[in-house]
Amino acid sequence: MLKEEVIIDFRGPISFETMEELLNKLKCAPAFNELRKPVRKRLYGTVVESIDNIYKYAAFNQVDSQGNSRTPLLVVKKQDDIFTVSVGNLVMSDLVDGLKSKLDKVNELDSEELKKLYEEVINKESEEADTGAGLGLITMALRTEVDIEYSFEPVDAGYSFFTMKIDINT
Amino acid sequence: MEKLIIEATVNSPRIVLNPEEKKFEFSGESRPENVRNFYLPVLEWLEKFSTHQSGLKERERMPALDCLFNFEYFNSTSAKYILDIFKSLNTLNSLGVELDIKWLYEEDDEDMLEVGEEMSRMSKLKFEYVISDN
Repeated sequence: MLKEEVIIDFRGPISFETMEELLNKLKCAPAFNELRKPVRKRLYGTVVESIDNIYKYAAFNQVDSQGNSRTPLLVVKKQDDIFTVSVGNLVMSDLVDGLKSKLDKVNELDSEELKKLYEEVINKESEEADTGAGLGLITMALRTEVDIEYSFEPVDAGYSFFTMKIDINT
Repeated sequence: MEKLIIEATVNSPRIVLNPEEKKFEFSGESRPENVRNFYLPVLEWLEKFSTHQSGLKERERMPALDCLFNFEYFNSTSAKYILDIFKSLNTLNSLGVELDIKWLYEEDDEDMLEVGEEMSRMSKLKFEYVISDN
């Protein structure tokens, strides 16, 4: 049996204040503090970017067409020497294709190609870069050097539940 | 020109733009709730400063500036604005203001070193990389 340790298991609405609480919780976790500083920062950065990604794509109020609420989640786990950051949130179905193609793109590029893409995106006008050009996804892929696992679970005609999972090797 | 000082918060860096002391400093963590609103006054200040310098005769301009970048962490949206700061600094540099840019990173923090190297390359400015001791 592999040893698994849950560091954060949060389900609920994610606001900027919640993010502060979650980051504090992470900073206080012994498993986090045991890490070498660079790995610690990489994990910290992955959590920040993952939550930022929720902000960018989350459907307003996290309520589907029937008014059923779907709770966003953030889970940070450690299994052996690998940390896993998972996030999930409801997204509007018309965003799915765009988000999917961004994720596929960063997963398919190698490190040099990712750097090129990073440069292209970061040099775009601010507004464009802010609203989902995917700088956060590119940064995570560059830093962790692993594929970002994701899924879209259709909830109804208007919405899907998006989950994304990233491993950080210590 | 009046100096600009922004004190640090838990999610935003301390920024000091002090022409009198010929010193610009950025330090701490950068992931403010609204990154654009946070960096806009900084970029506007830098733009005004460049305009002011370009209005002066070359010998009256600021000869040199120390620029210290001591970020503990910044998120990807902040990176965009930090690059914009370097682009503004490049404008100053082209007016003849010599820049001594120090990019601090913690020992073994390859990510911070690497992003510094990228910033230097993209802004066409020379950085000196210094290991910090925080």
